[in-house]
Amino acid sequence: MGSSVVLADPAGRYISAGVIQISLTNAIIIGLMLVVFALAILVPFPRHRRHDRRDGDA
Amino acid sequence: MTAAEADEVPTPASSWTVRTRTRLSRTVPPGQLLPDRQPAYMASWIYVFGMLTIAALLVVVATGVVLAMGGVAWWHVSPTGHFVNSLHLWSVELFFAFMVIHLWGKFWMAAWRGNRALTWMTGVVAFLASIGTAFTGYLSQSNFDAQWISTQAKDGLNAVGVGAYFNVLNPGQMLLWHVTLLPLAIGVIVALHLVLVRRHGIVPPIDAEAPADDAATATGGAR
Repeated sequence: MGSSVVLADPAGRYISAGVIQISLTNAIIIGLMLVVFALAILVPFPRHRRHDRRDGDA
Repeated sequence: MTAAEADEVPTPASSWTVRTRTRLSRTVPPGQLLPDRQPAYMASWIYVFGMLTIAALLVVVATGVVLAMGGVAWWHVSPTGHFVNSLHLWSVELFFAFMVIHLWGKFWMAAWRGNRALTWMTGVVAFLASIGTAFTGYLSQSNFDAQWISTQAKDGLNAVGVGAYFNVLNPGQMLLWHVTLLPLAIGVIVALHLVLVRRHGIVPPIDAEAPADDAATATGGAR
């Protein structure tokens, strides 16, 4: 009987705008990827002190 | 011909091993394959996503190997199999997310600059091959989802004439494409992609100056 419950599940929520239709889940995932992309550009990358010491030695 | 004359006949340059070695050393000179320093402009999180994609791919392959040992029914009937199957799925999700963010980053920095067109194109082919591998993976789930996807896809694929060679209604064929042919193709393309990245160095940002030559890229150049 479990399988009939699964089959009866709704297909999910969709966002529609003209010819564009996307599931809410996919839209959220794409939005999160854009956030990660923006953070990857904006967040400073930590520096390695070990390399600084090497430069001093050289 | 004396033994001494026979020793002098073959020249090193004519040997296929010498030619192969020369070709390989020209393609990726020593020091460029595994550099320990990189240009200063690489100190950005956006440059991390290529290697994150590779890391996710390694998890995908490792969990796929375990699934292959367990067999098709294992991931449905065994809690351990179900867990490994979930690891396989979610590492694929991360693989694609990281790869697309890597693609966005490389697109907006025009990463094909500086004689890197082949690097860009091998990335494109790797992306397309990955989509094919993911598609055959969905067809190999052995559930109603796989049935639905295959029956939806068959008309489009038949319309372009590939149905005789790539039959999505044949789960055995799709499973073999998924676990042998396409992973092999991705492995070769990704290896070539990495060699090209090492050969030409990391692409500099548009407003930054690249190190003077490839050797500078390999050994660090500016920090």
